[in-house]
Amino acid sequence: MLSRQKLFWLSPPYDLPGSDRRFLRAVRDNCAYHISHCPEYRAICKAEGFSPDDIKTVEDLAKLPLLPTLFFKRHAVFSMPQWRMGMKVTSSGTSGSFSRVGFDWGCIFAEIPMVLRLGFYHSLVSPRPAHYVVLGYKPGKQDRMGVARTMFGLTHFAPPLSRSYALRWRNGSYVPDLDGSVKRLRALERSPFPTRIVAFPSYLWFGLKRMEELGLSVRLPRGSKILLAGGWKQHYAQEVDKGTLYALAERVLGISEDCVHEFFGAVEHPVFFNSCKNHRFHVPVYSRVLIRDVYTLKPLPMGEVGLVNLITPLINATPVTSAMTDDLGMLTPGESCGCGLKSPVLTILGRAGLADITTCAAGAAELLGKGEGF
Amino acid sequence: MIFAAGTILPDGELSQTITRLAAEEVPRTLSGPPLEREVVLDALDALGQELDSGALDGLIVQYAPPGAREALERVRPQLSREALEERLALELGGLAGPRRFGRTQVLPLGVLLHVAPGNMAGLPAFTAVEGLLTGNLNLVKLPRGDKGLTIAVFQKLTQLEPRLAPWLYAFDLPSRDTAALRRLAALANGVVTWGGDEAVLAMRRLAPPGAKLIEWGHRLSFAYLSEWQGLDLSGLAEHIVQTGGLLCSSCQVIYLDTTYLSVAEQFCKEFLPVLEGAARSWYTTSGQAAQGALYAREAVLEQIVDRPESGDLVFPGKSCSVTLRRDGTLELSHLHGNVLVKRLPREKLLEALPLYRGRLQTAGLLCPSSKREELAALLARAGVNRITLPAHMSRTFPGEAHDGEYPLRRYVRAVDIEIQ
Repeated sequence: MLSRQKLFWLSPPYDLPGSDRRFLRAVRDNCAYHISHCPEYRAICKAEGFSPDDIKTVEDLAKLPLLPTLFFKRHAVFSMPQWRMGMKVTSSGTSGSFSRVGFDWGCIFAEIPMVLRLGFYHSLVSPRPAHYVVLGYKPGKQDRMGVARTMFGLTHFAPPLSRSYALRWRNGSYVPDLDGSVKRLRALERSPFPTRIVAFPSYLWFGLKRMEELGLSVRLPRGSKILLAGGWKQHYAQEVDKGTLYALAERVLGISEDCVHEFFGAVEHPVFFNSCKNHRFHVPVYSRVLIRDVYTLKPLPMGEVGLVNLITPLINATPVTSAMTDDLGMLTPGESCGCGLKSPVLTILGRAGLADITTCAAGAAELLGKGEGF
Repeated sequence: MIFAAGTILPDGELSQTITRLAAEEVPRTLSGPPLEREVVLDALDALGQELDSGALDGLIVQYAPPGAREALERVRPQLSREALEERLALELGGLAGPRRFGRTQVLPLGVLLHVAPGNMAGLPAFTAVEGLLTGNLNLVKLPRGDKGLTIAVFQKLTQLEPRLAPWLYAFDLPSRDTAALRRLAALANGVVTWGGDEAVLAMRRLAPPGAKLIEWGHRLSFAYLSEWQGLDLSGLAEHIVQTGGLLCSSCQVIYLDTTYLSVAEQFCKEFLPVLEGAARSWYTTSGQAAQGALYAREAVLEQIVDRPESGDLVFPGKSCSVTLRRDGTLELSHLHGNVLVKRLPREKLLEALPLYRGRLQTAGLLCPSSKREELAALLARAGVNRITLPAHMSRTFPGEAHDGEYPLRRYVRAVDIEIQ
């Protein structure tokens, strides 16, 4: 099982060709682990005639049994007893249903060098303390949402002086407190320390729009940053162009575009994707990405749009080796980005079946995890 | 938001609004002049004209989900004055009149609490319209997904006809607010529940014993194919892809009139390309096709993981799939263009289907025309309430019943008066 730790501890973060051998070895070991410990995964591999030895080249990664996030939402599949897991995390359940993914201690141990290396590489790590304003969930014992965990994690790159949250858990559900956050930002304007705003893009957008409408603006201290995690979630329809969002951030908060960082990841694929200085996601060595045809799910060549398939040997507790997201996206050569990184760029373009599903077929609401239409 | 007698109030005034309703407004409205049917028809007619002229387009764009305009276009003919008058005649005609003992009069139940459905934009307004047509005072509990469309429609309607205002209320309250729901139910003479088992059971617990329960629960539908060889299957395939299996009337299972597995297998092989063709032409965006493909992949995985010993055969296609199962159970399909195929010879129909009475809705019947009458009669006896062509399973027909019943008849009571 050392193959996974070797990949995560020893590889430079964006040297894909140089890490291919380590990656393939770790994937083979990861698959073999799931096959021997997870009956469901074993059954799928058997039915599809797959064996870890089939993975010899990077192209062979397409042969890994492909599990859609839908599968993790409907099945709690684990490769180890829960007492052996470091933690269990759920997706944010945008539409009522969520995936359950277990994290083993080996996975958490492997995440350390990944997060540190990437944190340093993207200049997120700073010894200078900062105030944090989180436009997201406050993590609590009552919930296990992956995004809350990520956001909380992001408040450690610079020593935290304070943390305030825009979404609070009150009487069994989250309530937004954007006005409170605006007040907090005004107070932080005068602090000698920088502020780091950690946010869902949609909340940042709505929050900034509201501030602009009210004619409010602040000038946060130099060195302040905006860290964006999570997608547009239920506000997909209002998704805005990145440039418009950055311009708004500059106008309202005084934070320039180069101080806005974005992250991408999924509970089923907790690899730490960071935006480069051109705001693009280059694939790090801990992950390989395939784009698949929306009709046949066959791998597509570079540059074509399809469903995003994320592959990593990171987790032993849950068989998420090759996870099929609901995201539509494309890969383009890293060289064309111009930031200096050569690994391919992943661009997320949308989501499968955006229409909000409501149903009156008996039992379908429960199956879709949408709750009753009641 | 709350809509109360023509005005919009904030949610914070829920408790006071219900108190006022119970103490003043309901007794006042019910003891005043009854709601004239002509007043309702005129107002609906005026609303229909606004809709046709495009005056409501802004409202629809603002509040309704994409596709609502098309859906509205399809049901528009049913909201015409002519169609509503026909419906009233069909559903309530003949209920009132002279009797040997004297006469029978038709009166509204009084107050209806509608627990409105969220699966189709416009339905919360539609259920209230049925209540208005029968002269009832309507309290509508809006579904979670209602983004203001219903209240906007009510506002428009009461602007066009202010006399409707005391008869229309809408509450945007969550289902878990059982205290408020119980208070509203206590005012009601009839509780109209749209929704799945959970909603139906919840309202049964909340309604006072004297209230009449009117339940429009979730249903399952299927296609029935007999001697289909050589018949056109494209209408069925388009129906499956278009509705995504999400409607009460969507085909979940294609039953074949055969006992032979080999015949069923042959059907699956022939039907898959037809289904793929429908998916290709209906899915206009990559997102739709991707959704179909993800559910098709899920269908394959669930067969492996959840039904390992079943002997089912999965035929995966492009953004769709067909699964041949050995049993005859009527069950939910994998949705989004992923349909189940089962064998059910006609001799077994009367044995198998009545198990699902109360759940059955539509059968899309495909067979040679010479056999249609006989098979339709058999399906009807087995408990099916609608029998259509497979392509028309989710189409609405003017004058059709709702899950085997005439709704307006359920919202009124017959009063017998003896002559001295």
